[in-house]
Amino acid sequence: MTADVAGDVDSADKGSLSAHIQKRFPGGFELVAKLDALGGITVVFGRSGSGKTTVLNCVAGLLEPDAGRIQLGGRVLFDSERKVNVPVARRRVGYVFQNLALFPHLTAEQNITYGLSRLEASARRSRAQAMLEQFRIANVARRRPAQLSGGERQRVALARSLVIEPRVLLLDEPLAALDLPTQSQLIADLRSWNREHQIPILYVTHSQREAFALGERVVVLEEGKILAQGQPQEVLRAPRQETIAQLAGVENIFDARVMSLQETLGTMTCRLEDSAVHLEVPLAKIEAGATVRIAIHAGDILMAVERPRGLSARNLLAGRVLSLEQQGIAVHACVDCGVTFQVRLTPGARESLHLDVGREVWLVIKTYSCHLLEHEPQ
Amino acid sequence: MNWQALALSVKLAFVVSVVLFVIGMPIAYWIAYSRWRWKFLVESVVALPLVLPPTVLGFYLLVAMGPRSPLGRLWLRAFGHSLSFTFEGLVVASLIYSLPFTVQPFAAAFRSVDQQLAQASATLGVSRLLTFARVTVPLSYAGIITGLVLSFAHTLGEFGVVLMVGGNIPGVTRTVSIDIYDQVQSLNYVSANQTALLLLAVSFLTLSVVYAVNRKVWAL
Amino acid sequence: MKTWLCLLLLLISVLAWCAPGEITVAAASDLTFALTEVAHRFELKTGNRVKLAFGSSGNFYAQIQNGATFDVFFSADLDYPRKLAASGLAVAPTLWVYGTGRIVLWVPADSPLNLGKMGMKALLDPSVQKIAIANPAHAPYGRAAKAALHNLKLYALVRDKLVLGENISQTAQFVASGNAQIGILALSLVVAPTMKDKGTYWEIPADSYPSIEQAAIIPTAATDKTLARAFLDYVRTPEAQAILREYGFQPPPETK
Repeated sequence: MTADVAGDVDSADKGSLSAHIQKRFPGGFELVAKLDALGGITVVFGRSGSGKTTVLNCVAGLLEPDAGRIQLGGRVLFDSERKVNVPVARRRVGYVFQNLALFPHLTAEQNITYGLSRLEASARRSRAQAMLEQFRIANVARRRPAQLSGGERQRVALARSLVIEPRVLLLDEPLAALDLPTQSQLIADLRSWNREHQIPILYVTHSQREAFALGERVVVLEEGKILAQGQPQEVLRAPRQETIAQLAGVENIFDARVMSLQETLGTMTCRLEDSAVHLEVPLAKIEAGATVRIAIHAGDILMAVERPRGLSARNLLAGRVLSLEQQGIAVHACVDCGVTFQVRLTPGARESLHLDVGREVWLVIKTYSCHLLEHEPQ
Repeated sequence: MNWQALALSVKLAFVVSVVLFVIGMPIAYWIAYSRWRWKFLVESVVALPLVLPPTVLGFYLLVAMGPRSPLGRLWLRAFGHSLSFTFEGLVVASLIYSLPFTVQPFAAAFRSVDQQLAQASATLGVSRLLTFARVTVPLSYAGIITGLVLSFAHTLGEFGVVLMVGGNIPGVTRTVSIDIYDQVQSLNYVSANQTALLLLAVSFLTLSVVYAVNRKVWAL
Repeated sequence: MKTWLCLLLLLISVLAWCAPGEITVAAASDLTFALTEVAHRFELKTGNRVKLAFGSSGNFYAQIQNGATFDVFFSADLDYPRKLAASGLAVAPTLWVYGTGRIVLWVPADSPLNLGKMGMKALLDPSVQKIAIANPAHAPYGRAAKAALHNLKLYALVRDKLVLGENISQTAQFVASGNAQIGILALSLVVAPTMKDKGTYWEIPADSYPSIEQAAIIPTAATDKTLARAFLDYVRTPEAQAILREYGFQPPPETK
């Protein structure tokens, strides 16, 4: 049916996913998406109903696009013009569903070996054993899903989809139900697995924190359309993509250098790049001199017209209002403090402060309003 | 007590349950998953024996097995004898009569299995048929046992259809329910009572099995 | 409101007092056509109403035993009324043999068998695979059929071909549908309007089986014994007897 040239996938380029999908639903919703994913994590970010899961289902072959073309490495999985549609079972797609879809009647180990029935029993067992160990679930191998914790279930699902050595991994809100430490541990294990395999991973989430912390790339989806795709900071900084900024809820993103760590205080001081502005941010496992990326919601910044006193907030910056703009029911201000901060306040606040362009103001930023974005050096 | 009639009924119920297990699976699978627009018509036909009086069904079967129907003629030509008044005839009649008791619990059980499990299975490279065998069937076992036990019990106690197409031949078509009826007609109330009580006990036992099995499903 | 209700009750009781009597008659199925006509004439003559219930004599017997209130019971089998009389459930002196049944060989109209020529030998024809008779265990016509086969030395030859109908009507169904090639049925049934054109019959010699005496009796629990007696008396009249004969019942042997 199709020219299957999957072969071995040693170069990231060869294994990359390119999907051009058009799919219309009876309710009127239409997905039109053209996205590319190289080896590594690509976050597909958007609100619920934006079409994220539809993208995954089309790639997996569970849904047939009305038109388009999906290619994985050199292998065409779907092409509406050439009438190619490789069945799900032959696509070699790893898929971790949002509800995991573990087989309730099988043990963790049996779940993992489920997709290996074509192998001999011994090969099956050794492959499963390796996965059980790599994903730290060897101790629960004989339990059924009902007897596993949420994190363990997640790991079993991940191991089950990876043990078949898929050419692409699809993750649908995989961390939504987990607490933070469990989340980062799991991501670390997934990354370490993928260092060897270098397959594209489509990671669907509606959480902005995950979206801009994890991805080497982000694809922003809204109402079935792709608003932007690229590096997280590029996507966020793209000047005209206001929707993305709103979606992400993060208007202020700065590259900064760690100047000093105050471990007893739980903070560290960073200097924003190309400026003399210093910010105290939450302590991270990082060394002085490293570069970090800091994100601050415009709505988290307080503004005062006189220097405030007796505040718990560690960051107090003097600046000048560059612009004021009414946006819906909010007022959007740009304040120059050496770098430009975006600040959101209510029209009431604007009036009581008698704000105008050129006015001298003070910005107050709590340490915990400064979010550190994870920074993977390329 | 007529042990011959009882043994015949048990044999009939057993044969019918086994055959229904084999043909009920694909029918139930199709009913559970087909998206054909006219599927409801097939569902209605399968459910028809639930609402039709056994005498009506029996009468149609008698006519269909007779030499004046094309089906009856076909059978006659193929096997040299008519299907009516034979054990095979009773099996065929009971298959139709008990079909909904097998297919409906099967289909309900298949339908209640999370479809995403089948999708997960497909992404793991497993074919539909194997997915059915490895995921759907094990997760439907309570419904499958229910269907089998119900069709067994229903065939065991079947009366109207057997009366219509059986011809009451001892050891061939005189089942236990016919025997009870004959005894009542011949005013042998004591003997009728004994056999009826036994049938009641067996029916109670099989239904208890159904409910016991249904209480213990896979957790979550 | 209350007065209206009283008036209504009064009206109903007056009507009930003026109204002609009504009896319920339980009768064996083979009487369906004959007795319907007899009852109809009786209604025209007397202005009383006769409600007819047809069914298996054995079932009616069981029902009367369990408290059913029929006014007259016409049984295809003399045994049932006798048993009722013996146990005090029916008024013994009212027992009356109203007729005797006859049995016939019957084949569907499209049958190759020529009953007129072959007579009982038709049962041995190679084209005959199944022979339908009523269940001898409890159906009087079945008992007669079996006795006739025995007496004519045919029983051992045809035993494996016998299929048993639960009553004489179902036996007829087996043959009419073609599943059995020939059957032994009641004469009253094969001359009935619904069966007359569907096949041909041959009367089995009456001396080859004990006569099938059919009897009526008034149960003790009857609600209107006077009217029940009046109806039985009418069935005895030459007019009613002629109708019964027309439908295949032989007149009762004199006195009993």
